[in-house]
Amino acid sequence: MTVSDDEVFTRYPDVLITYDNIEHYRGLLQRRLLINRCDDCGYWVYPHRPICPRCWSWSVTPTEVSGRGRVHLFTQVRQPRANDKAGQRQGSVVLIGVELAEQPGLRYLSTVDGMEFADLRHDLPVELTWIERGGLPAPAFRPAAGDDSAQPSEEAPVG
Amino acid sequence: MARNPLRGQVAVVGVGSTPYLRDAKKTYLGLALEAAIAAIKDAGVDKSEINGIVGSGRDVFSVGDATYLAVQGALGIEKTTWVLNSWLGSCFVYAAQAVATGLCDTLLLVQAYRRGAEMSQSAAGDRFRQRQAEITGAGSWRNTDLAQRWYHNGEPYAAWMARYMHDYGVSKDVFGRIAVNNRSHAARNPNAAARTPITLDDYHASREIWTPMQLLDMDVPVDAGEALVLTTAERARDLPGQAVYIDAMSLGGTQIGEFYENGLGWGQFSPWRAMEGLWERTDLTVEDADLFYAYDGFTVNALAFTEAAGFCGLGEATDLFQSSWDKEQNILRLNGGRTLMSTNGGNLSQGRTGGAGYYSEAVRQLRGDCGERQAAGARTALIGAGSFYHDPAAVLLTAEAR
Repeated sequence: MTVSDDEVFTRYPDVLITYDNIEHYRGLLQRRLLINRCDDCGYWVYPHRPICPRCWSWSVTPTEVSGRGRVHLFTQVRQPRANDKAGQRQGSVVLIGVELAEQPGLRYLSTVDGMEFADLRHDLPVELTWIERGGLPAPAFRPAAGDDSAQPSEEAPVG
Repeated sequence: MARNPLRGQVAVVGVGSTPYLRDAKKTYLGLALEAAIAAIKDAGVDKSEINGIVGSGRDVFSVGDATYLAVQGALGIEKTTWVLNSWLGSCFVYAAQAVATGLCDTLLLVQAYRRGAEMSQSAAGDRFRQRQAEITGAGSWRNTDLAQRWYHNGEPYAAWMARYMHDYGVSKDVFGRIAVNNRSHAARNPNAAARTPITLDDYHASREIWTPMQLLDMDVPVDAGEALVLTTAERARDLPGQAVYIDAMSLGGTQIGEFYENGLGWGQFSPWRAMEGLWERTDLTVEDADLFYAYDGFTVNALAFTEAAGFCGLGEATDLFQSSWDKEQNILRLNGGRTLMSTNGGNLSQGRTGGAGYYSEAVRQLRGDCGERQAAGARTALIGAGSFYHDPAAVLLTAEAR
């Protein structure tokens, strides 16, 4: 399934689509979670940037991740901002920062599916799934099925 | 030791603050002007002497804010040689830097804050505040890359509160003690917005906003303006009032260069980098700080600055705060009892003015102007102000030029 640039711009009218992030959003529409990876040294580059912070290579390729990871951060919006009409409609929202199995500190901001806020624990093994949000496919995470091979990673700076 | 040619070369010679109110019925500009005129009068300089301005805002135009463009025109200052808009802790560093390098000689720093429409239902019902929010997009992350951002600026802080408690095996009391300390000080500050004393129980009972962050972890939105006048140490000697001097200062950049990325961990955020930069530039140490001002947009910010400053190690603030707790006054006494923290009540209780309220309070304390809440014999004030992610500053002020 190919997705044109036009379609990315049309379906994400509120997102600042740029040369650096368009492949990520194209991937979301295809239900593929793409993170830039350095072709020269293998480092995962996130957020979407055009060079590798470790070796300064310009050869970074949006690459599909395994979808495995652990919950590093989580919170629940109990009370949306007073003038945030979209937030008011959405009500309580669960937000999680998932440390992806690919690299320490590679954390993707997402939400949960098939679990409640009360089920969340730090370092809980999770896996990628896809939900619909505002008529668009959106990545979400659910408890990892079966024997999880994602290892807890050491705290490490990016780059 | 790193170079520090500005030590003792830059002086704060004027300070002005508006009342901290829920509704001042003033614009950002009006608040800034009220504070600016007070600060300029306090300094005893003529407006024609001011040739540098740091305005309030995040970019050149910052619609509706008290920018240098708006302030210079409103005050009728004919010409300047250096101007910039800034906010949070970094605004003071830019101001002092401009004086130290000779880009200007006498500088006006203004900061204005208002109770935004995004901050409460009652504020959202005020047409002036609502219009400001509509025009400027305040309170929403419009036009951003949703995949990498949180909905509101408080959520990452809430999530880091939870991670901190998990990683260090501590309770929420460590945050609560900051809230109680600041409220106890605000009770003695006639210009604080929230002055009713609170206990740890009150803290724990407050409404949850972003789990586990509660209402009393968050700053109090107010309408307020703050202003300072800075000049050279040489010029300060000829002015009538008592000057306060900059010993050392630092900003603190990290690899999470954009707003609210999640790649770093506790001990790696901007407060640590800013404090490291400060201590590299002075022979004074954290034990020399008579007063400590830790930015408290959220309690977890102040906790980070406390650990970053070196009052204790990573994750050790729970023990520090327990052993530093003054049960009579419900305040923290650091450095073995002699160092008071956030004597104005901070953003949590005096009111939300970024780091600006702390700079003003530190100057007044070092001049001995704080009346009932004056800290006896305070000669050195340490300020840490700014986000985990952007605009952090560490500043050491002294009552004499060293």
